[in-house]
Amino acid sequence: MNRIVIRWAVIAGLVLGLAVLFIRPAVNAPPTSDPPAFRMTLSNEPPTLDWNLATDSVSFTVLINLMEGLTEYDEQLRPRPAAARSWDVSRDGRVYLFHLREDARWSDGKPVTAGEFEYSWKRLLNPKTAAEYAYFLYDIEGAEDYNTGKVSDPDSVGVRALDDRTLEVRLRKPIVFFPSIATFMVTFPMRRDIVEKFGERWTEPENIVTNGPFMLDEWRHEYKLTLRPNPYYFGPLPALGKVTMFVVNESTTALTLYETGDLEMANLPPEAIAAYRGNPDYFTAPLLRGYYYGFNVLKPPFTDPRVRRAFSMAIDRREFPAILKRGEIPSSFWIPPGMPYHNSAIGLPFDPGAARKLLAEAGYPGGHGFPTVTAVFNTGPENSLIAENLQAQWKRNLGLEVLLDNQEWKVYLNRLLTDPPPLFRLGWGADYPDPDNFMNLFTSTSGNNRGRWKNDRYDRLIRSAAADPDPARRQAGYDEAQRILLETDAAIMPLFVATQNWVVKPYVRGLQINALELLTLKAVRLEKP
Amino acid sequence: MRFFRSYPRIAISGGFILLICLAALTAPWLAPYPFDLQDTHSILQGPGVQHWMGTDRLGRDLFSRLLYGARMSLSVGIFTAAFAVLFGTVYGAVSGYLGGKMDNLLMRFVDLVYSLPDLLLIILITVTIGRGVFGIFLALSLVSWVTVARIIRGEVLKLREFSYVEAARAVGAPHRRILFLHILPNTLGVLIVTLTFRIPAAILAESTLSFIGLGIAPPFASWGSMANEGWSAMKFYPHLILFPSLVLFLTIVAFNVLGDSLRDVFGPERRMR
Repeated sequence: MNRIVIRWAVIAGLVLGLAVLFIRPAVNAPPTSDPPAFRMTLSNEPPTLDWNLATDSVSFTVLINLMEGLTEYDEQLRPRPAAARSWDVSRDGRVYLFHLREDARWSDGKPVTAGEFEYSWKRLLNPKTAAEYAYFLYDIEGAEDYNTGKVSDPDSVGVRALDDRTLEVRLRKPIVFFPSIATFMVTFPMRRDIVEKFGERWTEPENIVTNGPFMLDEWRHEYKLTLRPNPYYFGPLPALGKVTMFVVNESTTALTLYETGDLEMANLPPEAIAAYRGNPDYFTAPLLRGYYYGFNVLKPPFTDPRVRRAFSMAIDRREFPAILKRGEIPSSFWIPPGMPYHNSAIGLPFDPGAARKLLAEAGYPGGHGFPTVTAVFNTGPENSLIAENLQAQWKRNLGLEVLLDNQEWKVYLNRLLTDPPPLFRLGWGADYPDPDNFMNLFTSTSGNNRGRWKNDRYDRLIRSAAADPDPARRQAGYDEAQRILLETDAAIMPLFVATQNWVVKPYVRGLQINALELLTLKAVRLEKP
Repeated sequence: MRFFRSYPRIAISGGFILLICLAALTAPWLAPYPFDLQDTHSILQGPGVQHWMGTDRLGRDLFSRLLYGARMSLSVGIFTAAFAVLFGTVYGAVSGYLGGKMDNLLMRFVDLVYSLPDLLLIILITVTIGRGVFGIFLALSLVSWVTVARIIRGEVLKLREFSYVEAARAVGAPHRRILFLHILPNTLGVLIVTLTFRIPAAILAESTLSFIGLGIAPPFASWGSMANEGWSAMKFYPHLILFPSLVLFLTIVAFNVLGDSLRDVFGPERRMR
């Protein structure tokens, strides 16, 4: 009996092995279904479609097509009118008046009113909502006090619907990029009647009401979401009759679906990029997304800035694009290219000699006596490649053995919040294309500053740069702040700026993919051969 | 030569296992590159002259990693199996020999360990102890001795009724002497067969652990962790998963064939002849 089993196992193993070697992409066949459907994938089930509570890019991909905020981005990532027709700024830069369009409608036909923005923003800030992105609106008068529970009266928050068409926003300091903030998903308007009527189930397709070009038709959890054009949308009706977003965790699976003609677009996993370079379907573009390792500056040996500088200078960042093969931009700076006030001359250079010297000055000549440190990252193929490369580089250039550990994303985030490891990986994708969004992260009051690093001068620089309308002064301010963050204090070590890599069928027209990973489908049409 | 002719399957499978063990022992001399040398200029090369099994995503030589991975996989397999057999044998033999209430108690404990889901227990142990060879070794040992204990207990239960045991008892031999000198040597055949089946099971368990990311910590490699690194790129770089899984597959088949043939040799039907 056993012998037969083994014999069959041998044969099955050989057949499988051969099959793997001979798999080839199938012939592309355009879809034949009617009306024109656009099929894509999401890397996981959207954690929520409540746009006040959403924090992740998957939810954002769905919401950006379902909803419309006061403003939206044009191709150059400048804010342009959307649900708002126009806006006025007071002379001191602290009061914004947004004028809403008369013809904006929800998917149930009701008009979009300024009160629905006020409701949404106050709900976002309500401590009971416990929205992680509440700090996004902290620049509004009274918002922080209300959100942190110091004040319990929501009317103390400086956002008010003057009438159905006018929204007044009072800021605690002038913010030049406020219209960019108003593009973000957490600021989308919200229907009080729907939320209160259906409670937690208001985001289900039978309940949800949206004001964007599409509406949610179907949400089969962990399987797919279907979007249909919103017949009440004020703009031109989308050419796509239907958008299907399949939940597919594995990017290689998504690619197989794309190759068999079951998807119109797919994200390319790193290992597939070499095979697709030169293919007309291939599309790559930079992202406003920085990848970095942070130090917990309260944990020895990283309490010493010389050690942090040594760790940063021991890394040859040119190895990352060689490994990941997606055209990543090696970065020792933090404000990414493509964002205003980027300066590529900032940051510690790769200099193993100087790094070893710094380590010796800190009391660890040749790495002797250096305590065992563990670098922690969240589980994922890209992260472990980078971590293993860093481990090898620290060993090669500093003579240090750094241990690695990885944890699942949710566990990892919780650990960063409660007890950040001495050395940890994180990334940051821009919410709005202003350097404030990147630099604000490391101020002492930021909810996302995991390394517990604090610097008064840095805080002051960031605060004044956000309010300064003069470009030259802003540039000088951000330059100095970046030098403190990355060179003198070395609170983090940026590694590279990520890129996005897609395959899109040639018959897809009008697709906009921008550096913020926003995938707007309202102008997409399919020109079938 | 005569051995080969009488037991060709034992010779082939045993020879293969010996070869793999030798390769693992001499890995530092056999491997053309250090196992953790990253060469960013030769990332993801296919099998060729320079790297004859190709390179992985960090430009490390796959053949060298496979050799060092053999050390990890085999030592985990052999040591956990050895521990399981040693501890399981003593435990099972004592339990079977004593019989009665004690046997009942000891065996209920075995049932308890048996009823715990293996993978869950292993994950718990590695999470508490931390990743590393020791954690894996401990975790796998703790779950694998129970099977051996059961087999040996059954065997001892049978053997202790034999008349030579009764004779030994009659001349006043102490229990320890009866158990270890008269009963246990007669379980040797079963033991060897169990051992050859426990080793591949342990190797496979280690691979499973490494595959789900709980195995040994980088930069070290085992066959399982290499397969884990390779599987997502299977379509474009099949060599990444092909070689480690092929070696894993062949080794496990070899151990199973060996165990199977040894059972034929030591098996009861042969003894009856």
